[in-house]
Amino acid sequence: MACLPGSMQAADIRAKADVACQPTAGTLTYVCTIRLTDSRTNEPLTGIDLSVGADMPSMPMMHNVRPVKATPGREKGTYQAHIELEMAGEWALQLNLSGKLRDRLVQVLRFEDGEIAREISPAAPRPARQKH
Amino acid sequence: MDDYLIGVLSNVGVISFIALSAYLLLLIGEISFGQQAFFAIGAYAAGIATALWGWPLAAGLAWGAAVAGAAAVLVGVPTLRLHGLYFAIATLAFAEMVRLLCELFRYQITIDGEPTGPNGADGFRNIRYIFENDIGPLQFLVLIYALLAAALLGFMLMERSRLGVAFRMIGEDVALAGLQGIAVARFKVLAAGLAGALAGIGGGLYAHLTTYVEPRIFDVMLGVHSLAYGLIGGLGTALGPLLGVLIDIGLLESIRSLAGYRMIIFGGVVAFLLIVRPRGLLDETVVHYVRRTWYQIGRGRGN
Amino acid sequence: MLELQGLTKHFGGVRAVEKVDLSVAQGEILGLIGPNGSGKSTIVNLICGLFPLTDGRVLLHGTDISDLPPHARVTLGIARTFQNIRLFGQLTVWQNLWVAQNSGEQFGQENFLRRWLGGSRRARGEIDRTLEFFDLAHKSDELAANLAFGEQRRLEFARALAAKPSLVLLDEPAAGMNAEEIDQLDRRIRMLRDDGVTILLIEHHVELVMSVADRIAVLNFGQKIAEGAPADVQANPLVREAYLGTATAA
Repeated sequence: MACLPGSMQAADIRAKADVACQPTAGTLTYVCTIRLTDSRTNEPLTGIDLSVGADMPSMPMMHNVRPVKATPGREKGTYQAHIELEMAGEWALQLNLSGKLRDRLVQVLRFEDGEIAREISPAAPRPARQKH
Repeated sequence: MDDYLIGVLSNVGVISFIALSAYLLLLIGEISFGQQAFFAIGAYAAGIATALWGWPLAAGLAWGAAVAGAAAVLVGVPTLRLHGLYFAIATLAFAEMVRLLCELFRYQITIDGEPTGPNGADGFRNIRYIFENDIGPLQFLVLIYALLAAALLGFMLMERSRLGVAFRMIGEDVALAGLQGIAVARFKVLAAGLAGALAGIGGGLYAHLTTYVEPRIFDVMLGVHSLAYGLIGGLGTALGPLLGVLIDIGLLESIRSLAGYRMIIFGGVVAFLLIVRPRGLLDETVVHYVRRTWYQIGRGRGN
Repeated sequence: MLELQGLTKHFGGVRAVEKVDLSVAQGEILGLIGPNGSGKSTIVNLICGLFPLTDGRVLLHGTDISDLPPHARVTLGIARTFQNIRLFGQLTVWQNLWVAQNSGEQFGQENFLRRWLGGSRRARGEIDRTLEFFDLAHKSDELAANLAFGEQRRLEFARALAAKPSLVLLDEPAAGMNAEEIDQLDRRIRMLRDDGVTILLIEHHVELVMSVADRIAVLNFGQKIAEGAPADVQANPLVREAYLGTATAA
């Protein structure tokens, strides 16, 4: 399998993602802007089929948010996806890359109603654990 | 098959392992709120094996199951001397301890220029085995269900053996079981070890399915759910906990309009069933009736 | 074969059993009687190891078994029934006997896997014979909880025998039975004795004890007050006093 050009490429390039989610008019609906780059060269990654799913780390496998297809954005290497969540709190967004590059990136974001959600930085102090 | 459907079915399959794990302990009459600890141990151990040590998936999953099973035996020896509520609390305390240890656990190796491995509270990312080896979601789904089928077959065989009957005897009346020549303490530890290994397989599958684990996943929430599945689905057969999983994730989750209220409804269903059917939908009486009818049909055809 | 030496059990301040010496000879039926609360059931529980002794020893064939757990004593050939029937209600009649049958000495120290995961074929014939002896063969696949009272009593007895014990402790087996059932019980106990099984019979039903027992021991307030042939025990003034109160002694 390793000799196929496709998988060679998959093994060579590791994608990196930056995600920010903007609240929209609906409750708990967000437009997420995802910027994909090559983790080594920092070049934007274009032409990738991207779908975005979500799972709550505090309730793994319990919420099946239907993955949505992301559409390429205006800027090179950016993609946009509309997601609808069931509740506020921390969600692990699953970015499923396919097509040119097959991979999955996971980012944990904190969603509060009406606020911009960003990745929780490893360095930053974590907010208190949410009770459900 | 639709990616979403594959995702849901994968979740159902993975969570079935921890539901079966809790079910096995319910069979011997013990309530554990801590099976998520062995799920966690399995997930970390299997993930480390494939992502950091470069082991093949099968070896990684087996390793995860072995480590989780061994941990369950070590914890089982002292805790299974406790009964009822005390055992339940001990398992809960142990599971929380494991979760907190996961938050402290750092073990990283640089792979492809990126640090990979468990990184405390930030979790363990890049368990990329299925991407590095081109295993598609459907293939992984088949793997999950093949292992689940094997586990179920094991349960079916066990229930037909003396061992299975002995487990049920311990669950129904410990003292009386001892008077049937069953070395109760040893059997309980055996059940705990098997249950730990089952949860460990589930954890290993989960880690490779999502490529990412973090300590919060192994919250008591997961343990309570896995316990509830057996209690609502029924303790008469290993299909009981699977029915419980299907009811929760399959049925309730598919009714989208319930959305955020699902947990409330689930809690209500559990409470209601515990009152009207204390041993679940598929309890011993139902299973016995079905089994007997089945044999009668079989005999009728034979004549 | 069974010997109790200075058997003592205190529950807190209650002296349930106090320095009881008792021996049961191979192949005999020893009746153990006494008023309610005199410690009869406690003695049975101590013999099969359900709780630890306060003092004294239990010897089986001359070996001290006082510290053995219940399951190990079963393997040495001790089986029992309960005053209040205890069955595995959610298991079938057959399953109730199956595990017990395997625990007896006849299977020895076989390896764990063969013993617990092995097939049921070898067990089947034995169990079917035991069930026939107790007129339960037609209920073989029924859940124990669904049996009638009399059937449950017989099943308990059958389960005790499934382990092929050399010593059976019967704790009030006639409780709740009608005259006809007691007759059957009487016959079964004798047949068992004829098979070489030693029996310790605890019973309130005086007629039954007097009829089947070779010897009788009497307990009162945890102490043995008399022992001997049925007729002698019946004539013993201490026994009359224990049963009827001090008024008769006056």
